Order: sequence, then C-alpha cells, then structure tokens
Amino acid sequence: MATTKSKTQHPDSQPPTPDPPSPNSSLLREHAEQQFAHELEELAKADTRQRPPNWKLSPWAVAIYLLGGKLDNGFEVSPKYIGNRRLMEVAIATLATDRALLLYGVPGTAKSWVSEHLAAAVSGDSTMLIQGTAGTSEEAIRYGWNYARLLADGPSMEALVASPMMRAMADGKIARVEELTRIPSDVQDTLITVLSEKTLPVPELNTEVQATKGFSVIATANNRDRGVNELSSALKRRFNTVILPVPNTIEEEVSIVQQRVTSLGRALELPAEVPALEEIQRVVTIFRELRGGVTIDGKTKLKSPTGTLSPAEAISVVNSGMSLSAHFGDGSLTASDLISGLVGAVVKDPIQDQVVWKEYLETVVKERDGWKDLYRASRVML
Amino acid sequence: MSIHIFGIRHHGPGSARSLCEALTQLQPDIVLVEGPPDAEAVLPLLIDSQMRPPVALLVYSPENPQQAAYYPFAVFSPEWQAIHYGLTQQIPVRFMDLPQTHRFAMGMADKEQEFANQEQPPEDGEKAETESLEALPQLTPNPYDDPLSLLAQAAGYSDGERWWEHLVEQRQDSTELFAAILEAMTVLRSHIETNPQSPLSNLHSPLEPYREAYMRKTIREAEKQGFQRIAVVCGAWHAPALATMPPAKEDVALLKGLPKLKVEATWVPWTYGRLTISRGYGAGIESPGWYQHLWEQGKRSVGKASLLKNSTQSSLGTTSSSIRWMTKVARLLRKQDLDASSASVIEAVRLAETLAALRDRPLPGLPELNEATQTVLCFGDSLPMQLIQQQLIVGERLGKVPAETPMIPLQQDLQRQQKRLRLKPAATETTLDLDLRKPLDLERSHLLHRLNLLEIPWGRQQSTGNTKGTFRESWRLQWQPEFAIHLIEAGIWGNTIETAAMTWTCDRANQANLPNLTKLIDQTLLANLPQAVVRLMKCLESEAALASDMAHLMNALPPLVNVTRYGTVRQFETTTVGHVVNGLITRICIGLPIAAASLDDDAATQMHQQVNDVNGAIAILQQPDALEMWQQVLLQLADQQGLHGLVAGRCCRLLFEAGVFQPEDTARRLGLALSTASEPAQAAAWIEGFLAGSGLSLLHNPTLWQVLDDWVAQLSSETFTAILPLLRRTFSTFAAPERRQMGERVRQGNSHTPVFVKAGSFDSDRADSVLPLVAQLLGIAP
Repeated sequence: MATTKSKTQHPDSQPPTPDPPSPNSSLLREHAEQQFAHELEELAKADTRQRPPNWKLSPWAVAIYLLGGKLDNGFEVSPKYIGNRRLMEVAIATLATDRALLLYGVPGTAKSWVSEHLAAAVSGDSTMLIQGTAGTSEEAIRYGWNYARLLADGPSMEALVASPMMRAMADGKIARVEELTRIPSDVQDTLITVLSEKTLPVPELNTEVQATKGFSVIATANNRDRGVNELSSALKRRFNTVILPVPNTIEEEVSIVQQRVTSLGRALELPAEVPALEEIQRVVTIFRELRGGVTIDGKTKLKSPTGTLSPAEAISVVNSGMSLSAHFGDGSLTASDLISGLVGAVVKDPIQDQVVWKEYLETVVKERDGWKDLYRASRVML
Repeated sequence: MSIHIFGIRHHGPGSARSLCEALTQLQPDIVLVEGPPDAEAVLPLLIDSQMRPPVALLVYSPENPQQAAYYPFAVFSPEWQAIHYGLTQQIPVRFMDLPQTHRFAMGMADKEQEFANQEQPPEDGEKAETESLEALPQLTPNPYDDPLSLLAQAAGYSDGERWWEHLVEQRQDSTELFAAILEAMTVLRSHIETNPQSPLSNLHSPLEPYREAYMRKTIREAEKQGFQRIAVVCGAWHAPALATMPPAKEDVALLKGLPKLKVEATWVPWTYGRLTISRGYGAGIESPGWYQHLWEQGKRSVGKASLLKNSTQSSLGTTSSSIRWMTKVARLLRKQDLDASSASVIEAVRLAETLAALRDRPLPGLPELNEATQTVLCFGDSLPMQLIQQQLIVGERLGKVPAETPMIPLQQDLQRQQKRLRLKPAATETTLDLDLRKPLDLERSHLLHRLNLLEIPWGRQQSTGNTKGTFRESWRLQWQPEFAIHLIEAGIWGNTIETAAMTWTCDRANQANLPNLTKLIDQTLLANLPQAVVRLMKCLESEAALASDMAHLMNALPPLVNVTRYGTVRQFETTTVGHVVNGLITRICIGLPIAAASLDDDAATQMHQQVNDVNGAIAILQQPDALEMWQQVLLQLADQQGLHGLVAGRCCRLLFEAGVFQPEDTARRLGLALSTASEPAQAAAWIEGFLAGSGLSLLHNPTLWQVLDDWVAQLSSETFTAILPLLRRTFSTFAAPERRQMGERVRQGNSHTPVFVKAGSFDSDRADSVLPLVAQLLGIAP
C-alpha cells in the first residue's frame, strides 16, 4: 500500500488498498506486480545500473522486464510485450525524462497491458488508476471531500479524499489514466497543471501537493473511436506519444492469437478441440490483408474496411467459431463455422464494407489454392 | 619520399573532414584518388564556379551508351574534397582505379556469360539502369564498400557514420587515425581471407585483384616521377593492399593484355534522392541530407575549435548538432502548418539523449533523433516522418554542371537518331506527315512520341483532319534552344532516348493516379515502349484496387481492352494486361450498382456514356465469363429502384440488343417505366436513355412502337406539353430520314392494326362459328 506523507494523511474512509503481493488463486485477475512479483524481485537483485530517483528498477531492467530476456544469473524473464523493441525503449526513456507518456493505438493493441506493466516495473505499483469515462469528474483527478468529516471538523487535510493522481504525486509513483480521450475536455485540462507545474493546489486549505521525484503519468487512448474528446493541443504537447501498432509479422500475430484462443478456450471450458494452426493462420491472414490493404505476397492491393480488425477481434472470431463447432457442428473448426464471425468482423458498415468484402472474395479468396471451402461458405452467407 | 595512404569511407562526412585536416597537415605534392583514370580530362571542371554537387562522373562507351558507369559525388564525399584540395593547391590529381576502358571490355565478356546462364529479360526500365550501374564494383551492394560500418555494427552501432564520428572526435591526431584504420582493415581482410566460409568472402569481386594492381601501378609511377609526398585516397577496404607493395612484376603481368574499349567521360547533375540505397543504387547512402548536416556541423565545430582550443568543444559540438537537427525538423514541420514549438524541440532533444543513454550510446544518432521526433513532435504519427525522411534525411538537392561540360550520351543519341531518321532540328516551324505503314515513318513517330514523353515537345501532333484511318499522323516540328537543357536534365533517366523515356515513364507511373495512368498508357503505346507498358499495368492494377471513383475505373477499361486487342501486333505480353482487365471488370461489376445510385442529371449523362463504353469494350473482349458477369450487373441495374432513368433505360436497351430481354419483356419494361405512376421527368429520361443513339430499333420493332405510341396517346394534354421538350430532345438526335419515316408512320395512323396477326394463319371455319354469338352480343343480330 502507498506510504503516506504528512501533508496527505489518508482519512479512515479510504478504500482498502490491495494486500501485499501474494499469489491468490481465487482472484479472477491479479495485478501485474502480484503476478510477476518473482521476476521483479530477481530483476531488482541483478540490477546494478543507475536508477532514477524513486524507481524500483533501472530503465535498462525495466526494458528487460517488458521485452523478456535472460539475466546474468540465468534467470529467465518472460516477455510481456511482443513487438517492436524500440517502441518500449522510447516509452521507458520518456518516463525517465519525467515527461508523461501517451500510449495511442487501435483497440486491442495492448495499450493498457503495457501501461500496467510499466507502472508495475517502475514504481512497483500499478494500482494508481483513473478510469476515463464520459462521467469522469475533476474530483476523480484531483481530490474529493469526506463530507461527514468536512461538516464535523471543517476543511482539513483529514477531510480530504485524495485521488490516485494525488497519491501518486505524493509518493513519487506512476499514475495511470485509462481512455484519456473519453474524459470530457474541461476535466482533461486539469492534467495540464499537474504535468507542467508538477503540483496539485488545494486552494481550500491554502496548500498544495507537490510531486515527488519519480512521479509520472501514463495515459492510454484509442484513435479509432468516434465521439471522443480530442486532446487540446496544450495537453497533447505535454505528452510524449507512442503509437502501438498492430503486430508486425504474421508469425507474431498468429502466435498471439493462438496463445489467447487456447487459454480462453480453457477458461470458458469449450468442448471443441483446439483449432488447427492453419485455420488460425487463415483468419489472421485475412485480417492482415484487409487491414494492410495488400495481399501477403504483396502483389495485389485491396480496399480496407472501416473496422479496426485488431488481433483481439481475430481472437474472438476464432473463439466464436470454436463454440459454434462445439455446440452445433462436429467439434472441429471448419470454414463454415468461421465465416459468420468473419463477415461480422469485417463488414461493419453495411454498404462500404460489403463492397470491400465482396471484392476481396472475388479477387483473392476465389483464386487462392485450398481456400475454396471458405469461398463457398461465404457465397452462402451473402 | 613518402607515401601516405588514407583509407576512407565513400560519402562519409567524418572521413572527409579528417581527410581535409590530414591533407592540410601533410602538404602533399600529388594526390591519387580511387576513381576512373578515363575521366581525368574533365576533372578540372570540378572547381568551376558553376559546379554544384551532387554531381556524378559519367564514363560511357560512345558506341553503346547503355554501357555506362556513374561515380556520384556529394560535397561531403572524401574523394570530392581530396580532388578539390589538389586542384585548388595546383598540384597534380590523378585517378588510380582500373580504367573503365578495360572494365567495360571485361564486363562485356562477363555479361555475355551471364545472359547465357539466365535468359530472363530485364523486368522493367529500372532494371536496365541498375544493370549498367552494376558494371562498377564500387556501386555493387557489398558491405565491404563500407567495411567501417561492419566494424561499427560489431561495436553495436546502427550507423557507421556515428561510430566514425565518435572515433574521429576522440582522437586528436587524425593521421594516427588513418593508421588505425589501416590496421583494422588489415585484420578484417586477413580474417576474411583465412575464413573462406565467412559470408563476406563470397562478395569478393573477381575484379578486385586487377583494380588493386592498377592502383599500385599508379603509385609506382608517381614514385618514379619523383614526387616527394604522395597522398593516396582510397576506400578503406583497399588500404592494406596498397600499404604492402608486392613486386612490381606481378602487377605488370596481371595487367598485361587487358581488353580495351573506347570510352568517354563527362559530368552529369545528380540528386540526393539518387544517392540513396532505396533507388537501387548499391554503394548509396541512406541519408545524404543527414550527412550533409553532419558535414556542415563538423565544419562549424572545427571553426569553433580553432577559436576555443578547448578539449570539451567536441562533445559540445555534437550536442549542438542534435539541437540544430531538431530545430531544422521543427522548422520544416512549421512550414507544413504542423505545430512544433520550441518547448517541444527541447523535450525532443532530451528524449533523444535519454534514449541514447538507455542504449549505451554516448550521443544520440539518427535513429534516436528520429524516434524522439516522432514521439514528441509528431505525436506518434508516422506520416510527418515521411516528409522528414524525404526533405531532410534524404534531401532534395539537385546538382548543377558548368555549361562547358562535354555532351552527354543522351544528346549524342538524339543526334544519331535525327541523322538516321533524316529529321533535322530547325528553329522554324515545319509540318511533317507520316504514313505509319512505312517503317521509317513509324520510327520517326516513335521518336517524336518518346521525346514528348520526356517533355521535349519538339513535335506537336496535329489532328489528322479529313483523312480517315489510324495509319496517318501529322506533326508540326519546331526546335527550341531550351530543349538542349531539358535533354541534359533527362540524362538522369538513361543514355538513349528509348531507355530514358522508359525509365521516366516508369517513374511517373509510380506516382500517377488512375486517370493519369490511363493517359500514360495511351502515350506509351504510341511511343512503342513495351517494357514501360508492363510496368504501367502493375501500377494500374494496384491503383485500380484502391480506386473508389467508379468513373475512373470505367474510363480505364476501354484503352486497356484496346491494348489486349492490338497486343499481339505490338508484341506485348498480353497475359498481364488480360489479368488487369479481368480485375477491372470484376471491380466495375461489384461497384457499379452502388456508384450508379442517386446520380444527378449531369452525372447520369456521364454514367450513360461510360456504361456504353464499357459495354462496347466488353463486347470487343469476347470473353463469355466477363460478358455474363456484366449482363448480370446490367440486369440488376435495370431492376434497381431509384436509378436515374437515363442509366436504367440504357441498361434495358443494352440487354435488349444483347438478346437477354425478349421483345415482349422489353415492351413490358418500357410500359412499366413510362406508366403514369412514374414521374414524367423520370420517364422522359428513361426513354432518352433507351432510345438515344438510334431510332432504328423503334422503326423496326413494332412492339416497341406500339408501346410508345400507347403511352403518348394516353398522356393528358398538360403532361404531354410538359414532357414534349424532353421527348423532343431525344427524337431530335435521330437522323432526319429516320424522323421522316416515323412521321409518315404516325400519319398513317393505323398503328392499331394488329400487326402481329398474319392473314391466313387461322382456321376460318372455326372462326365463323363464333360470329353469330358475337353478333348477338353486339345487338346487331339480323
């Protein structure tokens, strides 16, 4: 739990913070620092490099934690992010320069995942979290009041309910803001003072909370949503932006999808057998080709549909295909089980995407060897 | 007497700077540079006041200008600086590489073998160009052209230049530095020679021993002539071979009896874009603009150093190099109306430095600077990075050569062709009529069309006027003096008019959109450049896939179908075209129903024409599959609700002509479209679309006539008055005799005669038996 400074005494009404890391199998999901406590510990032991103030690990060790690797003592660190090494280095360097980090990208590209692990590795605590919604208020970012205390004792530090942002500042930790662009613009701008002056004034008490060294903010936002509140340029300028891309190579993406599908199938206790690698490859190929606007062999250009076609959607297509085949088919994944989910994922706009999908069927699927079953199945669907 | 060997990095600004310093210190009385001795005659032009790098030395064989070698120089090329130093100091400067006169002759033999082995023709224009470039080992993509970057990679740097920078700056005495390079190269070379399985050893060019022998020979000659301080500037790779001289006899024996070929040399303007690797130019550098920046920075910090005489200045100089670079980036972004404040520049520099620290680099290099730029200044967006790549990292600098530069091969080729085809350039305007059935005239036409492609409008094509037939062309010729300059500029594209036009077209094709591509294809066909057509097809295919404008797609189809039709005559590879055509038809068929919905009158008129054209093209194509698909779409269009009448009417008519609709069906549709429930304007548009072009079907199809007549007859007088102008518009397009015939037919007024009943085709006995009952019913019983 966060240590408290004299200026920001936590009132008793503070919700209980999680217990120190302990493997607890009854939890549906553990925090990163709980799940990987062992790795963090080993890294801290092996890490001899210079650590920025209040960092639990050196930037170099944070990079190993995220990207995986072998320590000198032979300890194997599992990779948390599969993809471009340079992007992670930029993200870590950003935090080391005390700038705020904005992770940007289409849904399903591991933004929140990276943010959680970064916070866990840098400050050993990924729980300083503000979830951005259309209803996020200024109190959620600054502070609120315990009204019983306020009425009883008048305004005091004890009656003040600190936000995760305030606590992170006081403790020199990383605060996380999820879905920054969902927060209304006027509330977003509260962050400007925090990020540039590194202080949070409390005018009611004529005091302020100044950020301790080590404090920084990681925000995530997605660039495909409609109806979001674009960041003002004043705020945007205070963030270093890293765009997380969809996986680079087909092998990378296939392995991500396969891993997730297998573990999800186990969690949901689907009776279907684990899908053949080639079906997953086919789905991923279709997704990559339509997303990239060019066939894998690079010979034919294609139109791209309006949807995002992220790996997360590929996972759900394969998953729904599995459950279809388990409950209504013979238990093994076939083209006709996949096709409804596939069309649903691709055709988001009934007119434009329909054209895209039809063109794809006629120019690519029809002529590809071994894809006849898919072509026939989709002709039935249309 | 002493020989000083300076192993350099081709196009390395760091090398150039240390070389300049070393030369000033050494004060040599002769400079020997790795380069073609054939080009020594044009060397003095290098210090001409009009000379602006980047330029390239072009050595070519006048008999066969395809055989040419380019030696590009930028201001930061060490060779350039060495020659410049020598010429300004007025000491002899000599090239010492194996002369191209031998290399071309040897290459010829090589190439013949190569062609025998693989009979594949070059894919496109660019290939032809790179092939001629490959005649030069210096330009082949071998890592040992830049062995320093090998060492840099071994030291964990991504950029050899950055590594070199650090190397240079940590040393005070730059002559010692060259000794160190010599040592490193000696080790590297002996390592490769003793490890034949090393991947590098395959890259050994068979020409290497000859080149190095010739270099040694040149050095020996200089020694014999009594020069005291000989400066030898060569690629670092060659340095060890020149440092330890084998007996002169061996070299003489090796170089004896080499074949020879006549060559000439000249300067041509070059661009930074063409210095890059991405243009398929082997020894190129990825970032000429960045190197230019380093070169300028280096000169600046050297200037400072002489003032400050402070050992800390070097690191200061490089930090300011990142700052200056970031500022350049920010200014570029601002010019493009993208936000880039000074505060962001500060943050970007900080991030670049932290990144460098994270990666254990003492100073940020280009990758760090780029990543920082993208993250801070571009908000993670990669699009502005392309701009930075293009304008700053590569740079758009174009070189200039003095006016007295010898003529380039392209000019000579044009003169040759003019002589051969008996076309004299004259400043006065003359007309020229060509009969393309004659071979000479055909070739003339090709030449003029090719020049037009290269934007040298010597001849302007006139419309042939009254003469019918496609075998005639009429040109108006006038030679303008500025064409000579255009020719020099076009020299970048190739050494003959044909290859230049081809390369140029291929280059243009990469940037063109669909309508421009269609136009280019027309021009290229006339200029007879089959290889360019193949390339154009590829571009067209990928453009067509992305095109959302149906009009463009539909316009592209007819000329392509023409290509397939005439393809065999002009010896194209028609399968590629066929593939593209099929793709186009598929896309048109899928997209047309949506594109045709909700059109206004103007758009509908255009669509009407395009549907006609596509229909004609598909008819020419004579492919049952395509025809069936097309007719399916027409059928769908004819039934589509809310389609503009003009298009719907035309679809109905096309299907009627194709025999898909029976006359009865057509009549039903006509009646339906013209029934009172339809908007009068819509109905009139429909009839216009249906009948436009010819009234003959109206005259010769009585069913059609009947339906139309009934429709007109049942119109109320107000509606008729309202529609009359629209109807008139359609009917006035018919030829006068057709109209007269229609008029006569209407005047006869017997349109109610049951024309389809022929006398004698019924049984009169049985008919008679009905008559009494009919009479009774009508009340006329006797």
